[in-house]
Amino acid sequence: MTQIWQIPRLALLWLILAYLSVVVLHFRHLPAWISLAAAIAILWRVQLYRGVWSLPGRAVKWMIALICVIGLYAAYGRLIGLEPMVALLTTAFTLKLLEMQHQRDATLVIYLAYFLAALQGLFNQAIVDGLAIAGCFLVISAALVALHQSSDRQSVYQPLKTGGLLLLQAMPLMILMFAVMPRVGSLWAIPIKSHSAKTGVSDTMSPGEFSNLGRLADVAFRVSFAGDAPPRHQLYWRGLVLSRFNGRSWHSAGDYGFGLADRRMQWYNKPRPEWAQAIERDGKPLTYNVIMEPSQQNWLYGLATAQPDSPGVAYKRDFTLVSPSPIIAKTRYRLQSWLNYKHDPMALSLQRRAIELSLPPGYNPRTLSLAKRWLEETREPQALIRRALNLYNQQFTYTLKPPRLGRHSVDEFLFDSKRGFCEHFASSFVVLMRAAGIPARVVVGYQGGERHPDNNYWLIRQYDAHAWAEVWLQGQGWVRVDPTAAVAPERIELGLEDILGEEDDFLADSPFSLMNYRHIGWMNALRLRLDALNYGWARWVLGYDSEQKQLLSALLGVASPTRIGLFLLVTAGATLALLAAFQLRKTRLNSRDQLDKLFLRWCLKLKKHGIERQVGEGARSLGRRIAKRDPVLGRNASLITENYQRMRYKSGHIDERELRRFRQQVREFR
Amino acid sequence: MFVTDIKKGINRAIGRWLRDRIPASRSVLLDNKKLFIFPTAAGAGWLLLVLLTWLAATNYENNLVFAFACLLSSLFVVAILATFANISGITVKYVRSTPVFAGEEAIVEIVLLQQQNQSRESIRCGFARADSVLTGLAAVEEQRVHLAVQTTRRGWLNPGRLVIETTYPLGLLRAWSKLDLAVECLVYPRPVKGTPLTVNTSGRGDGPLLSNEGADDFVGLKDYRVGESLRRIAWKQYAREQGLMAKHYADPVDEELWLDWDAFDGFDREARLSRLCAWSLELARTPNSYGLRLPGCEISPNRGEAHQQAVLRALALFEIGPQVGKAET
Repeated sequence: MTQIWQIPRLALLWLILAYLSVVVLHFRHLPAWISLAAAIAILWRVQLYRGVWSLPGRAVKWMIALICVIGLYAAYGRLIGLEPMVALLTTAFTLKLLEMQHQRDATLVIYLAYFLAALQGLFNQAIVDGLAIAGCFLVISAALVALHQSSDRQSVYQPLKTGGLLLLQAMPLMILMFAVMPRVGSLWAIPIKSHSAKTGVSDTMSPGEFSNLGRLADVAFRVSFAGDAPPRHQLYWRGLVLSRFNGRSWHSAGDYGFGLADRRMQWYNKPRPEWAQAIERDGKPLTYNVIMEPSQQNWLYGLATAQPDSPGVAYKRDFTLVSPSPIIAKTRYRLQSWLNYKHDPMALSLQRRAIELSLPPGYNPRTLSLAKRWLEETREPQALIRRALNLYNQQFTYTLKPPRLGRHSVDEFLFDSKRGFCEHFASSFVVLMRAAGIPARVVVGYQGGERHPDNNYWLIRQYDAHAWAEVWLQGQGWVRVDPTAAVAPERIELGLEDILGEEDDFLADSPFSLMNYRHIGWMNALRLRLDALNYGWARWVLGYDSEQKQLLSALLGVASPTRIGLFLLVTAGATLALLAAFQLRKTRLNSRDQLDKLFLRWCLKLKKHGIERQVGEGARSLGRRIAKRDPVLGRNASLITENYQRMRYKSGHIDERELRRFRQQVREFR
Repeated sequence: MFVTDIKKGINRAIGRWLRDRIPASRSVLLDNKKLFIFPTAAGAGWLLLVLLTWLAATNYENNLVFAFACLLSSLFVVAILATFANISGITVKYVRSTPVFAGEEAIVEIVLLQQQNQSRESIRCGFARADSVLTGLAAVEEQRVHLAVQTTRRGWLNPGRLVIETTYPLGLLRAWSKLDLAVECLVYPRPVKGTPLTVNTSGRGDGPLLSNEGADDFVGLKDYRVGESLRRIAWKQYAREQGLMAKHYADPVDEELWLDWDAFDGFDREARLSRLCAWSLELARTPNSYGLRLPGCEISPNRGEAHQQAVLRALALFEIGPQVGKAET
C-alpha cells in the first residue's frame, strides 16, 4: 500500500535534537559553512513538516550535493582522511534529513548519527569527550524510540526516559564486552589526522627547541611502577638517540653503520639472541607501565635498557622504543628496565664509531682547539669528562631564556654567552667529547616528573623534556652523562618547576593550565585529584589493552580463546538472565489485587483487637460492627472500609496515589 | 509450478505446526511459548552499524570508540528483551463481531488486557488478509480494538490468524504471534434484488400467486358459491371434473408468506440464496410474517428481529453446517 509517510511530531523533534547534538559534537573539526547548511536543513525540514515548503527536486538535490562536495574539497584539499570523511558523512546526514520519505530513511539518519557520534572518539578521548558522546547517544536513542512510538499522547520526555533506561540496561553487558573482547589491531594502514600538530620532543635538536617545551604544562605521559620507583635522579626517559650533527642541529643517524642483523627492530615477543651480547643486565628488573598521550610521533619513551612487554612496541639496536604507527591516541605499554647495565661494553663497529666521532668541518673552531689543548694534558676519558663538567659548573648559568646563537653555536655558547638550557649543554658537551676523541651522542627525552601523592604514578609533562649525552668508554659501554646536572643539580633532583618556576617564561604557553595555581593549596589538591581521575580513565579505558591481558590471565588462568568465549557466554548469560527476570516479572499484581491484599493485611491486624471478619461479611458492615463495639477504633476502621469499598467497586483504573494513601492508612492502623 | 507446490506444502506444514502450538481459543495469553522474535531489516542494518563502528575502533586502535561499539551491540541484546517484554503478558480476547453480508467489511472486536501495570507501546494487530491497527496499552489496563475484515463469501468468516506484533522500542526486532481467536462471525449471502418473488401462500400448491385475500391456513375445499373470488376456485379439482370448488382458509386476517427455495427455478445455489436473502430483508420491513423453506430446513413463518436472524443464519449456513470454520494461517 502506498501511503505518504509523515514522520511523527515527537520523532521529528528528537531527530532534530539528535542531529544538532552530533553537529555540535564535531563542530571543532568541521568547516564553518556546515553549521549554515545545518540551519537551512533544519528550517527546511520543519517547513516540510508544516507543509509550507515542498521537497527539493532531483536537480536541486544533486546541485546541493555537488556544492557540498566542492565545499569540502575546498576546506580540506582532499577527500581522503578522517576529517574529510567525517565532514562528508555530516553533509550526507544533513542532506538525508531533507529526504526522509519513509521510516527507513529516518532510521538511516539515526544510524548515521550513532556512527558519527562514535567517531568523535577518534579525535578526542578525554573523559569529557566520552561523556559528550554518551550524551549524544542518549538523544539519538530517544529519537529512535520516538520513531517507533505509536502515539503522541506520551510526554515529550518519554522517549528520552525509555532510551536512557535502555542505555543503562545495556551498560553491564557493554562493560563486560569491553573487558573481555579481544582487540585485533589495525587491519589496514590508516591516514593520519591532518590538523593535529606533533607535540613533544622532536627527532631533531637545535638550540632553543627545548626551552619552548619548557613553556608547556601538557602531560607527555604517565608512568606507574609495579614496585618502588627509583629515585628521581635516575628517571631519564630515553626517547631518541641523535648522533648526526650538521653544525647547528642534531639528527638521528638511523641504522647507518649497523650490520644488517642490527637494522631490524625487535618485537616484544620475538627474542633476538644476538643482541643479548650487546647488553649486560644486572639485578632485578624494574617493571612499569607507560601511558603515552598522543604525540603524532613514532617513538616511545622508557628508562635505560627498556624491554617492551606489550604488542605494538619494538626496540631498536640503540635501545630506543618505537611504535610501527604514530601515536594518535593514548597508548599504554609495559616495559622492563635494568638500571645496572652495560650497553655495548666490548666494541663499537668501525662505521658506528666513525659516526659517533664525526664533527662537521668548518664549525666551532674555538671548541675544537679547546679540546686539543685538554688532550695535550690528559688522554684519560674520565678526566676529560670531569674537566668539561667542571667548566659548566663553574662558569655557566641554566636558564629558560638563552640568548640567540649564530653559526658557531657551540663556540658562542661555550665562550661568549655561557647561558643556556639543557640542549645547549648536551650539544656542546658532545662536541667537546668528540673533538677529544671520545665517541659521544645526544639523547633526547624527558627527565624526572611529578609524583602523584595518592596513586603510585608519575606525571611527566612537556616541560620535563630534557637532552643529555651518552659517551662510550671501553669496558663500560655507553655511559650517561648529564652536563645540565653539573650546572644545575636541582634540575635533576627537584625538577624544572622548582628551579625555574619563578621565571616569567615558565608555562608562558599554558595560561589556563591549573599548574599556574599550584601554589594555592586547594587548587593544587583539585589539580592532582583531576589528574588521578584522568589517570584512571587512561589506564582502565583508553589504555585498557595491556591491562586486559593481565586481568584475563588472573581471572581465567590461561587467556585462551575458548576460555574467553566461555567466560563471555556465561557472564553475559547471567547478566541477561538477571535483566530478563527484572523485565519480564509476571507476578506484579494489578492495582485491584494489591488493594485486596492490603485489605486482608488489615483484617489480620484486626485480630489483635479480637475482631474477626465473618464469612461473607462485606467491608462496610464490618466497619459498622467495629464502630458499634469500639467507637474510637471504629473511626479509623470505617475510614479504611469506606475507602476500600469505594476503590474496589468503582469502575475503571485505580489511581496510583489513592492506592498509596490506602497503604499508608493500613500501615498506620493500630 | 513446482516451486509454488513446494511453497504451498511448506505453508501447510507451518499451519499444522502453528495449530498444534497455538490452538484456537477465544482468549490467549501471549507468553514464551506463543511468541516469536527475530531481527527486522533495520536490525540487520544495526549489525552493519556495529561492524562499521568496530572497524573504526579497531583500525585506529581506539578504545573509546571500541567502548561505544560494545554499547551499540549491547543495546541490540537489550532490545531483544525490551521488545519481548513489550508484548509478553498481554492477553488477547475475542469479544464479538456483528454479522455482515458478503462483500461488506466485518468488524471483529478484540480486547487486549494485561495483569501487569506496565505501559506498552506500538502494538500492531491485524488479520492476515486485512489492514492492521496500531495501538498501545498505556496506563489503562485494557484496550479494545476493532478490526475490519473484508468478506467475500457467505458462511462463517475465516479471517485467518490474528497477527499481533511489535518492534518497539528500537525497531531492531519484531516480536510476534499468530493467534487463532476462534472468531465466530456469520456472513450472510450477498443480497441481490430485482428478481420477482413467487410467493406461495398455500405452501405446497403451485401457481404464481402474489397475494391471497387475508387468509393464512388452508383448511379445505367447499362448493363454490357465486360471489366468491375467482381466485379461490380450485382449478385443479375443476380440471379433474370434480366440480367447481373453492378453497377455504381458517385465518382470514393474517397472511403467511413463504420464501421458498423452489421459487427461483433456474438459478444456482448461491444465486438463489442471494435472492432469498434480499427478499427476506424486504419482507422484514413489511408487517407480514414470513417463513423460509430450504431443502432439508424449514422455518415456520414468524416476525421480529430474532426470526429475521434465524432466517438469515439459515441462509448463511445452508449446506455449510453450524460449526465454526477452522482458521487458516
